[in-house]
Order: sequence, then structure tokens, then C-alpha cells
Amino acid sequence: MKSEESTLNKVPPSHANDLNAYPMKERGFINFLVITAGFLLITPILSVHRVTDFMIFCIFVMSFDLMYGYMGRLSFGHMLFLGTGAYCSGLFIRYISGNPLLAILMGTFMAGLLAMLIGLVIVRTTGACFSLINLAFNQIGFFLVLSPLRGITRGEDGFGVRVSSFGFFNFANTTFKFWFVLLCLLLVFYLLKRVTTSPYGILIRSIKEDETRVKFLGYNTFFYKWLTFVLAGGVGGLAGTLSALNYNFVNPNMMDVHSNVGVVFASLIGGAGNLYGALVGGVVYMLISNFLPIYIHRWEMFLGFSLLIIVFKFRKGVWGNIQDIWEYIQKRKGAPRLPA
Amino acid sequence: MLYTVLYGFTIGAILYFISIGLSLTFGTIRVINFAHTLTYTMGVYALITLVALFKGYFALAATLSIILVIPISYVIERFIIRRLYGESLDYTFIATFAVSLIGVDTIKWIWGVNPYPLSDPIGTYLAIWGLTFPLYRVLIVLIAILLFLALNAFFKKTIVGKIVVAALEDKDGVRCLGINVDKYFSIVFVLGSALAALGGVLYAPISSIHPYMGLSILLLSFAVVIVGGMGNLKGTFLSAFALGMVMAITARYWSQGAETMVFIVMAIVLIFRPIDI
Repeated sequence: MKSEESTLNKVPPSHANDLNAYPMKERGFINFLVITAGFLLITPILSVHRVTDFMIFCIFVMSFDLMYGYMGRLSFGHMLFLGTGAYCSGLFIRYISGNPLLAILMGTFMAGLLAMLIGLVIVRTTGACFSLINLAFNQIGFFLVLSPLRGITRGEDGFGVRVSSFGFFNFANTTFKFWFVLLCLLLVFYLLKRVTTSPYGILIRSIKEDETRVKFLGYNTFFYKWLTFVLAGGVGGLAGTLSALNYNFVNPNMMDVHSNVGVVFASLIGGAGNLYGALVGGVVYMLISNFLPIYIHRWEMFLGFSLLIIVFKFRKGVWGNIQDIWEYIQKRKGAPRLPA
Repeated sequence: MLYTVLYGFTIGAILYFISIGLSLTFGTIRVINFAHTLTYTMGVYALITLVALFKGYFALAATLSIILVIPISYVIERFIIRRLYGESLDYTFIATFAVSLIGVDTIKWIWGVNPYPLSDPIGTYLAIWGLTFPLYRVLIVLIAILLFLALNAFFKKTIVGKIVVAALEDKDGVRCLGINVDKYFSIVFVLGSALAALGGVLYAPISSIHPYMGLSILLLSFAVVIVGGMGNLKGTFLSAFALGMVMAITARYWSQGAETMVFIVMAIVLIFRPIDI
């Protein structure tokens, strides 16, 4: 109890949480334009294939952020859903049909279904137990694809995913893939934006602040936590299916427990509890992880030190600091502040 | 079947060494200590170097490597853990994970990524009723039981132990008596880390040695701590041996499923007895 109170005092409430400030309808379209423009701007500098990869990771970070930033439950096993999505869509394409859309639906649905089932157990716990039990389930999933299901998943080797084109859905074309993933990203952004600014969104944020009080108000917090878990799992699964289609390949690395640190790091560096923060964090993390190892050999050490700096000095993340600067400027001008 | 039981006891003993530190740190300062992997692995790698140095004197090398881990764990406590008192669990989790990342990378830097072989330092067998048991494994179990008795005595008889036990119950109450609790917490942390190193050193000859060896065993120890109850010393002892036995029996019939079975047991325990932290 004591630690919870001190958390409340130490972490300043994100201003993104002000709901009444800007209704979704007025700003929704501008949000999309800004995101699209942002990704299109970095495309010529990097490459189309890389930016597609970045966007998929951003979807994944957003799904993680729904659970960590908004609901305040840190999961150390979110890769499980990415892996489940990737494997289910990959297996669907391999054994049943090459239709990419059905495969995406299948992967997302299966990841959601898995989240529904294990959510019943996981959501009962909070804090460290939540992280650890997620980690444990992730480890079980990793083990399952690696060895007992070796017959269909081909173990460590993984398998190739060859999608047949369907109408104008031609996944062999990188440009099409880019636009398709961008569309998915915008869709997920819209969905999560709607969800987090709805009364339900207020409720999960209240659960983050003080679950007991929400219970006192008569809400069935278990159900809402479960729903959030399923939503986060489903979106994570979508990211997995997209990455399977993007790489044309599925292997157990997509479910590796160690990779979880990446998404936690991305969420923190961008600023947890904010969808823009998740996007910024995702891009920044991917830039670091793609380009830094070329220059710095001891890459994990760098990651460790930056995580320590974030935890001790830089909790609001990049986006939180941008917001602060913006607010400061606006305050001097006397104008309303940046919408989130 | 007797071999299975012995193997179960061995793994249980190792799990006990490692999870006792986790359980204590969690019970007193509410920190989920991921940096435990680091002290465990550090102990093992120190052992590798020292064994090569003093050819054959395994016991001497083992003792020295445990002593070497103590200053490392003190540095971690002083600069990382002490800043995390009263923080939310998420941040302590991430910070200690960061420490273990840094440590693992340092190990890779110094010793390289390739696994090292280390053979059973005793190599003799104990023959009872026509069955032969590896003496080394029997010794591990004996050390675990001795350690359990010693720790019990430590927590019941000595003043430091009594303060720690009291702090496990009520930290603020102890502080009100005018005792500097933080000092005792750092003693507990260093003790836990040294025990983790002991576990690593004893387990190294019968397992494979690589920089990430700490992670899988740490996950198992978390399961032990959750099943036994956070900060509950006797519960940790019992659950360590019970889960060790679960691993050994599963391994007998389905060797790859051993670790997974532990997590399944943990999940079942959590369903019936959710822990609020």
C-alpha cells in the first residue's frame, strides 16, 4: 500500500489524461495526417522496407502501452501475443489457405482468444506478480513452439510464409505492404484513441490510480482489466501477423522472452500512457536498435544504462518532455495547450 | 526412481539457494530483484577463472568466487537498490533488469559468449544398497539442509536476524524503535546475493555455463518464491524442494517439459491463492 501511495506522489499525472480538453472528433483527422506525414517523411531517409518494420513495431508498442501506460500493468511477456499472431497466421497460410486477409484475421483472433483464456488467470494479479506470470506464460509459449509442436512449427528453424495475392492485395509488393501496414497502424491508432478517450478509458486509468476505489464505486474491475488484456493481446497479435507477412518468415525469435525488454524500453523512452508517446518511442527504439549496433559493439550495455537513466531521471519520456516544452511556450503566449 | 528423487532434491537445493535471496529482498524492501541473475552468473564465471588458476582446488576456488561476489552485490545495493526504496514495483523491476543486462554484457565482454565446460569436481560415487549415487549431488543436498538450519538459527538467535524478521513483519514498527533498517536491508541483500552465488557455484559443474544461464533459473526461482510466499522463509524452503521434485519427475517422463511444468504449477497456485502486491 505504501509503495502505491508514493508512486502516486512521484509520477506526475500525464496531461494527456485530460479528457475534456479536446474531443476526438475535432482533432481525429489531423492526428492521422500528422502520423502519415511523419512516416512518409522518414521513408526516403531510411527505406520502405525498414519503415514498414518500424510501423509494425509501433503497433506492437501501442498495444503494450494500453496495458502498461493506461492500465498500469507492466507485462514482461507481451511477445507471447506477437508470437502467437505470427505463428497462427503463418500456420494458417502454410496449411489451410494462402489468403492474406483471412490469415491476418486468424492470427489476430487466435492471439485475442489466447489472451481471453490466460487473461482469466493473469488479470487476477497485480504488480510484480503480473509481470512474472506473463513472463512465465511467454516462456511456456516459447517452449511449446520450440519443442512439443516441432512437428508443425519446425522448431528453431521456423518456416517460410508464402502468401498468394488476392485481388489487389499483393503482399509481394513492398509499396503495397507499406501502405497496408500504415493503414493498419492508423486503424489501430484510431481504435485505441477512441477506446482510451471513452468512459471505459477513464475507468482503466482509474484502475491504474487506485483499483480499490473503483471497486467501491461498484464497477466490476476484473472484467475491465480482462477486456483491456484481451484488447492488448489482440492488437499485439495483429502486429505479429503483419510481421510474419512482412518478413515472409516465422521463427521462435518472435516469441523470445528476451525481446520483451525492447518493447518496455520503447514504451518508456517515448513516454508511457500516451499513444503519440508510443509511436515516438517505437520509432526511436527501432532507430537505435537498427543503427546503433553498427557503431557500438556493446549494445546491451547501452540499453541497460539508458534504462537506468530513464528510470531515475527521465520518467516522462521523449513525448512527455515535448509536451512540457510546448506547454511552457503556450503558457507564455496564453493560448490553449497541445492536444494529446 | 531413487535417482529421480535425488535429482529432484539437488535441483530443489539449488533453487533454495537462489530463491532465499529473492524472497528476503522482496519481503523487506519490496524490490523484485532481477539483478540476482547477475550475482549468480558472476559467481559462476569467477569460479571458472579461479578453478583454472588453482588447479584442482575446487572448494577453495568456490569460496573465493563467492567472496568476490560480495563487493559486486554491495555496489548494486548502494547505487541502484537503495534509490528504489518505496518506488513502484514497475520501476524497480525495470531498473534491476537493466542492471542484469549491463552485467550480462560485461560477462560477454570479458569471457565471451561460448559455453564453458566444467566437470564434476569430485567424480566419485556413493554406493548404498547396490545403487550408486554421485557424491557431488548428495553433498549439495546436505549443504542445503545445513544452510536451512544455519539460516533458521541466524534468524532466530542473532540480533541481526531478529531485526530482519521483525522488519519482514512491520518495517515501520522496527524503524520506530530507532533501528536503522536500511543498514540491515543492505546486509540482507548482500547475504542473498552471496547465497545466489553459492547456488551458481554448486550448480555450475552439473549444468551448462553461458552468459544467459541466470535467466532461466531466475524464472524458476520466481516461481518458487511465488509458490512459497513472498518473504516466507520456511515456505521458500518447502516450495523449492517441492518444485525441484516436480521438475525431476517431469523430466523423467518428458525431459523437455520440466521447466514448463513448474510454471504450470505456479499458475495453478496463483489461481487458487492470488497474491496482492
